[in-house]
Amino acid sequence: MKTFTFLFLFLCLTSAAQAQSMFRGNAAHTGVYPGVAPREFHRVKWKFPTGARVVGSPVMKDKVIYFGSDDGNVYAVDAESGRQIWKVATRGPVPCTPAIDHDTVYVGSYDGKFYALDAQSGAVKWKFATEGERRFEAKGLHGWQPKTQTFADAFDVFLSSPAVMDGAVYFGSGDGNLYSLDANSGELRWKFKTGDVVHASPAIVNGVAYVGSWDSYFYAVDASSGKEKWRYHAGEDQLVHNQVGFQSSPAVVDGVVYTGCRDAQLYALDAATGKEKWKFDNALSWVITSPAVVEGKVYFGTSDSSLYHVVEAGNGKPILKKEDKAYMFSSPAVTNDVVFIGVLNGTLEARDRNSGDLLWEFQTEKSKQNANWILTAERKFNVPLLFFDAWREAPLVSADRQFAIGAIFSSPLVANGVVYFGSTDGLLYALD
Amino acid sequence: MRIAFILLLASSLLSRADENAVGRWEGTVQIPGRELLLIVDLATESGGGGGGWQGSITIPGLGLKGVPLSNIAVKASDIVFSIKSALADSNAGPAKFEAHLTGDGKLSGNFEQAGNSAPFALEKTGAPQVEPAPHSSAIAKEIEGEWKGGYELFGYPRKVTIKLQNRGAEGATAEFVIVGRKENKLPVDHVVQEGEFLTVDSHETGLSFEGRARKGEIQGAILQGPLEIPITLRRTN
Repeated sequence: MKTFTFLFLFLCLTSAAQAQSMFRGNAAHTGVYPGVAPREFHRVKWKFPTGARVVGSPVMKDKVIYFGSDDGNVYAVDAESGRQIWKVATRGPVPCTPAIDHDTVYVGSYDGKFYALDAQSGAVKWKFATEGERRFEAKGLHGWQPKTQTFADAFDVFLSSPAVMDGAVYFGSGDGNLYSLDANSGELRWKFKTGDVVHASPAIVNGVAYVGSWDSYFYAVDASSGKEKWRYHAGEDQLVHNQVGFQSSPAVVDGVVYTGCRDAQLYALDAATGKEKWKFDNALSWVITSPAVVEGKVYFGTSDSSLYHVVEAGNGKPILKKEDKAYMFSSPAVTNDVVFIGVLNGTLEARDRNSGDLLWEFQTEKSKQNANWILTAERKFNVPLLFFDAWREAPLVSADRQFAIGAIFSSPLVANGVVYFGSTDGLLYALD
Repeated sequence: MRIAFILLLASSLLSRADENAVGRWEGTVQIPGRELLLIVDLATESGGGGGGWQGSITIPGLGLKGVPLSNIAVKASDIVFSIKSALADSNAGPAKFEAHLTGDGKLSGNFEQAGNSAPFALEKTGAPQVEPAPHSSAIAKEIEGEWKGGYELFGYPRKVTIKLQNRGAEGATAEFVIVGRKENKLPVDHVVQEGEFLTVDSHETGLSFEGRARKGEIQGAILQGPLEIPITLRRTN
């Protein structure tokens, strides 16, 4: 009995450790975090300042938090005290969630390089040059003027986060490639070319890499050879290029791929064939969040319609829907009985897993200050003051103002009763 | 006699308050992190004191130029007005100014928008230059009547009905209905025909139709913000 208990605990702990070492917790991106989670907000345990916005999500191993900042640094921070252990400078912003495998931290940067860092010291083990990073861009994007001019997408905020599996690391790039590198040496195993930016993060399950591209296709690629197994064509938008592209990262559970898309659908695709099992329409509202999937339920949020959804994994039928106050790009972290999600109005929400009811929320100071009245008094986006001009740099300035209110793009990490997440206010927060 | 005198005095004071409020007012409102320039024009329909009020506002930082004011009320030295439709919030209603005329001829108070509130201060800089509301023109008899068409937006079909009618001196009016998942009756505030070209504007919703009437059809486009979606309207009967 004692042996069994020990073995059970060991398995749980191993699982817990693995479940926090990459984006969405594991290579399948289930978004499920084991252990206890705070049902009530008690305090800000600590805040760690960086020099710019923290858009990516933190990961944890051996009581050390790893994350990137748009100040160009990758950080290692003590999970208990919030004290810096090391930082490593890249030559570009790091809106990327690192992955940890054994003693190596893998992370991408807008400098177009992909880094392998020693988890203890931060020393660079190797770095790999992609064909270059860039954001999604299109002529007259989102209706910005003039419509024949090309604009970079201010809402393409994340870099693809790596997944590590069986000695290989996988990530997408703005150069349109899905890469697989040897995790030990950094040598290229293969690259798979798509038609546009790949900033979604690949899920790796049963020897297959799954990822969507901004070219409107979702791909399944053999993880060993880099050969395409199937592709699925989602919606396109030739008018303003607003309703196109996969920014959401897939979760793969029980032979089904679940992914959001900018064409306003949440898709469930057969992992073996790519055949559509069902889709959930969100009435022109992007699904940027990466769905969490557990016990037959899919959890996700939407952008413009600002809805928190739980649907049945088997058929996409709605289980519950809650009106939120603002766009969600952050992906839900599902724990035993609480779901955590960040909102772009600068709020972290804790919702009851069963009822979806709001248990507590935390608002960043920047959000409270409400610079430029980006928010209404109800903390919804104040549209007339936010996007009133589509000419010149106005949309970009507006987006920057929108993000500057302590928006939470980062997906929460939950470990040992503490919730960790980043904010555009430049802080990494630990709440319990 | 004394009462009559007091009433006369009160009336005179009110009239003076009206006169004091009339003018072009310029200043700023300080919202967190940003100062917005305000130019407010207030006038009475009679030109001097008395009569109904009209006004418009320009806020260069928010892309507003000569936007009509509504609900203008002047009581002694207190002045209240709202911005018609622009900056309105679905819950809090229209953006609103509550101001007080001070002894030194300044107009200061509170600006409320979407439940947020900030102080403003304005000084009179001259005579009012209230922006005239766009005036609808009469349309040709051949265009009067009901027109229907359809278009697709992001994969969703939409049906459009525009019913045009001349209303004498008011110019033409229009009923403008778009049916997608639900029926939207758009408030039309401007209908103009210039030669073959017809424009129907719903400024409140930011939606317009522009088209060219030829051979029993009106070929044009639905304009919604940056979107310009081709559509052909055909007479229903």
